[in-house]
Amino acid sequence: MVTSELRLEEAVVVSQEEVCQDTYLLWLSCPPLAKGAAPGRFVMLLCGEGFDPLLPRPMSYHRFRQVGGETQWAILYDVRGRGTRWLSQRRPGDHIWAFGPLGRGFAPERGATNLLLIAGGLGIAPIIALADAALAQGRTVTLLYGAKTASKLLPPSYFPTDLEIVFATEDGSHGHHGLVTDLVPSFLPWAHQAFVCGPTGMYRELANVLRGVSSTAKVQVLMEEHMACGTGICYGCTTFTRKGPRLVCRDGPCFALEDLY
Amino acid sequence: MNIAVEIGGRGKRGLLLSNPVMVASGCFGNGIEFRRLFDIDRLGAIVSKGITLRPRQGNPQPRLVETPAGLINSIGLQNIGVGRVIKELAPIWATWRVPVVANIAGESVEEYASLAAQLDGTPGVSALELNISCPNVENGLEFACHPPLAAEVTAAVRRCTALPVIVKLSPVAPNLVAVAQAVVEAGADALTIANTYPALAIDIWSARPVPSFGGGLSGPAIKPLTLRLVSEVAREQLGVPIIGCGGISTWQDAVEYLMAGASAVQVGTITFRNPRAPLEVLEGLESFLQQQGIEDLSQIVGAALGS
Repeated sequence: MVTSELRLEEAVVVSQEEVCQDTYLLWLSCPPLAKGAAPGRFVMLLCGEGFDPLLPRPMSYHRFRQVGGETQWAILYDVRGRGTRWLSQRRPGDHIWAFGPLGRGFAPERGATNLLLIAGGLGIAPIIALADAALAQGRTVTLLYGAKTASKLLPPSYFPTDLEIVFATEDGSHGHHGLVTDLVPSFLPWAHQAFVCGPTGMYRELANVLRGVSSTAKVQVLMEEHMACGTGICYGCTTFTRKGPRLVCRDGPCFALEDLY
Repeated sequence: MNIAVEIGGRGKRGLLLSNPVMVASGCFGNGIEFRRLFDIDRLGAIVSKGITLRPRQGNPQPRLVETPAGLINSIGLQNIGVGRVIKELAPIWATWRVPVVANIAGESVEEYASLAAQLDGTPGVSALELNISCPNVENGLEFACHPPLAAEVTAAVRRCTALPVIVKLSPVAPNLVAVAQAVVEAGADALTIANTYPALAIDIWSARPVPSFGGGLSGPAIKPLTLRLVSEVAREQLGVPIIGCGGISTWQDAVEYLMAGASAVQVGTITFRNPRAPLEVLEGLESFLQQQGIEDLSQIVGAALGS
């Protein structure tokens, strides 16, 4: 039985701005894709007209806001190739075809009042959605946020004021000089749960760091893999977990770190 | 307007499609994924993901590379194996109105025969599609390129099942017409033309091929190539229906394939871009036929082949 129809919807560009070097914030109006949206879930965006580029790009929900009774949503993305370059050229009023929401997002437990969020680079995109939601639920949230260099960090004004933020840069141009995972041992014992998004190398490093930390906090990470469909039909985004092969798009993208590394 | 398509028949159990729009193997999961997302019962048929004798985890990453209007994939037949398909999936398929064609892939004649024997009589399985043309497993193309081998595997399957047998051919067989003739003589009830084209991309920053051992190219880029193959085989009038499969992305593409001699079509890669694409192809085809005053689908099948 058809319970909710999945179809291409027309999203209207509300605004587009470059928020740090090569990173764009795109606000969209598309109520059907706001319904069921949650931190860690994603949408597929068609990044071009015609059949080239062919495949939609998966993008995490980055932020939500209420405007005149409507929930608008945003994505945050880097310009990396043809698709994202096309996306960065859309202007207010332009239309973008999209479908979703897809995947299984972050799952903060009811009793987890202290949340540690860890973001590396563009991994900040879904982490902010989670921070906004967790703060609205009255949880206490600390964010460890790392990037290669200061120009790739979002400015502090971008974040809610109730959020504690600790910055790290690999070149030392802002905050802790080193990897964001270096900061984890000092903060994890306080946390009831931790949520992570960044490159896979960061997850591997985090798993190493965690072996030396005494904490019962469950760690959830958001996986990324090349996808064709986003809906569980192409089997392109398989990741090999301790529990067997899993589809990032359908079984994830949120996974328990302990199942991966 | 009659748009039903019959496959098989010939005195055995046939497969009647309510319309000519099917979904291609590997491009629709096992149907279960989309069951709640749109009305899949409207499709002509669903072809399952490739089923093997034993479970397979499939190939390592990277599995996908986007190319101009195309996609190279190297999934490697990730699937749960025929035993679990029969236990877990077929009972669900059996409750659907849309017929499900089980796509099977073996490494030997014996494996194909065993797969066919196990699936024969399984409620929920309406036909078999023999994948003798997967480029992403070792020797996957062996059977598809040699007419005697293709005939041998078809005959072995034929002996093990009363289900309609569809053979999915490779677009890179050196002599596709000879392969088609051989499998029809060996008892094939229909031909799917064709599978993906073996292809490769290079990651210039690491100087490595992607996928690591190449993969199969699909999508709009291959449509003109496969369309020609369909017309070549259709001209031979082998007496079995041809199912066109290659880059069909719009209803116009489907009409082209039908006019080139296909009796039905499979929609594949475009579903990754638009989940409703198979239904949109069907809807567009229906209104085209209506507009043109065509009463029976068979009137346009092969219309572009001439005398």
